[in-house]
Amino acid sequence: MPDMPTNDALVQLTGVRKSYFSNRIETPVLHGIDFTMRQGDFVAIMGQSGSGKSTLMNILGCLDTPTSGQHTLAGHTVNTLSRAELAVLRNRTIGFVFQSFNLLKRMSVLDNVALPLLYGNVSRADARKRAEVQLAKVGLSALAKRQPNQLSGGQQQRVAIARALVADPTLILADEPTGNLDTHTSNDIMNTLTELNRDRGQSIILVTHEPDIAAYAKRLVRLKDGLVLYDGPVREGLHQLQSESHEIGAQDAGSIHPQGAAT
Amino acid sequence: MTFFQVWAESFRAMLANPMRTMLTMLGIIIGIASVVLMLAVGDGIKAFINKQLAVLGSNLVLVQADSRKAVGARLKTGTVQTMTIDDAEAINRLPSVQGAAPMLTTFSQISFGNDNSNNQVQGTTPTAFAIRNLRMAKGIALSDVDVASAARVAVLGKKVAEQLFYKADPINQRIRIDNQSFQVIGVLDNEGQSFDAGDIGEVVMVPISTARVALIRTPTPRSVQYIIAQSRSAETLNDMVADITDLVRDRHRIRADDQDDFRVVNFGEFAKSAEAIAAGLSIALGFIGAVALVVGGIGIMNIMLVSVTERTREIGIRMAIGARPSDVLWQFLIEAVSICLVSGVIGISLSGALAAAISATGKFDMAIGLKAVVIATVFSCAVGVFFGFYPARRASKLQPVECLRHE
Repeated sequence: MPDMPTNDALVQLTGVRKSYFSNRIETPVLHGIDFTMRQGDFVAIMGQSGSGKSTLMNILGCLDTPTSGQHTLAGHTVNTLSRAELAVLRNRTIGFVFQSFNLLKRMSVLDNVALPLLYGNVSRADARKRAEVQLAKVGLSALAKRQPNQLSGGQQQRVAIARALVADPTLILADEPTGNLDTHTSNDIMNTLTELNRDRGQSIILVTHEPDIAAYAKRLVRLKDGLVLYDGPVREGLHQLQSESHEIGAQDAGSIHPQGAAT
Repeated sequence: MTFFQVWAESFRAMLANPMRTMLTMLGIIIGIASVVLMLAVGDGIKAFINKQLAVLGSNLVLVQADSRKAVGARLKTGTVQTMTIDDAEAINRLPSVQGAAPMLTTFSQISFGNDNSNNQVQGTTPTAFAIRNLRMAKGIALSDVDVASAARVAVLGKKVAEQLFYKADPINQRIRIDNQSFQVIGVLDNEGQSFDAGDIGEVVMVPISTARVALIRTPTPRSVQYIIAQSRSAETLNDMVADITDLVRDRHRIRADDQDDFRVVNFGEFAKSAEAIAAGLSIALGFIGAVALVVGGIGIMNIMLVSVTERTREIGIRMAIGARPSDVLWQFLIEAVSICLVSGVIGISLSGALAAAISATGKFDMAIGLKAVVIATVFSCAVGVFFGFYPARRASKLQPVECLRHE
């Protein structure tokens, strides 16, 4: 990878396995994932439904812990942390951007953006100030007092990005951030993320099933059946994906572009 | 997140569903209001009883001649007057006795000018004033000199004085009792039921010696109808009853195996049982209030559980952006406590208004004491914590991944 700003491993997964248990029956989802990400990288994770994409995303977001294997994030060994410690780690190092925006109803846009700071024990006045700055950066200062449901999808996602950025996280995790948006708005959002990566060296992990969206990243990780199928530069990866779909033929094309499928 | 911020959040959540919050609060409002009202009713009854006891005089007994079997037929109590002034004096000298007064009573026509009325006249000694808590509104009480000289003087009950004199000053006026002239020397301040004469305000008191010579015919020159006696304290009341019984049996020369020819009516016992009834009533009423409160609390728990389920996604979002399990626990717990506290304040105000309305009718005095307010506030917080903890804990145990998947 030619354009890494630093050599510090921000995220390191070693032999990560994840199984779900129901009635003592084990359903393995991840079969041993090795993944390293450096500061300033912009990684897109792709995979069909059932590939373990969502599970990997949850582990990377410290929302879930692996059944076995090692996970380190910004120098913290995540496997050994308690739920409360995980919450603090998420608060300080990760900013989430979700497909369905996940803004809190009943709260103004400004309060939504300030919320991560409040959980980080920043005073209310400071939190509001920083939230205002962040809203200005995504161009939504005028909407600060509105409720989320008074905003368009694209505006809501911008608010969500502002909320993700407000606590200066080391990593942005964007889970299908354009899944609920039209093409034009999708491009806007992706440009915003790309600029963050380019201008501020913001590390970003993007989960998507759309090659067009993945193309904004620098690096592509493709998952299949709980294993890494491809890990390399995004252009080659997408090229490979395209040729695979040509080889398999038209009947399988739908599963590479599962429109509107849940992740 | 600071306490104040969590508090503000809880109010926002309460206002998000105003109808539901109101209905939930209603249960607690009724519960708290009934606890406070029931405590007030209990206090009111206690106060009422104490007021009555103050009129009666406390720790009193009444010693009277008992009915005696005459040729197999039991005669009416008091028909035989075996109690004497000497018995009264002997009882008065007992160490356990604070004071004892002999009594002779009758109904007589009282008249002044053209006004007349029929009232009870009590012949007694100055001691009766002390042990019955009688205070003077005007003038003076009976004195030992009045008794010794069989003076034709009378102390009027408040209502008698009003009836005969309206607003005029009765002191030193001459009234007629059974057509004999008496000088009014004082007017009583007391009102209310007495144990032996109905309303104390409708009684006329004269020296016992005067009553005997002028108004009441007695079987012997020294016999009295009954004696009232007061013990030195509530604790020694029963000892005094035993002392009086021993003394009078001895004085009446009653053999060990014979029945008493008198009986001791213990008003202290009445007072005690009245207090016990009041206390029991307080507990029973308080219990009813507590049941209402518990039912309200279960309502809170129910709604909080619904709320946790409804807000699963919100919980997931909060956890994802850094809320610790303890933050979530506090959020829901404080929400439950807020509902209870607001309900508590409303409930206390409501019961205060009701108590004021009841007191305003003048039939029953009800006051919401500080004690009741403190108890109600503590209780409403406790209900919030107790019934809010389980739903809050459940919320805090939720897995963020599953919450975020929840629609």
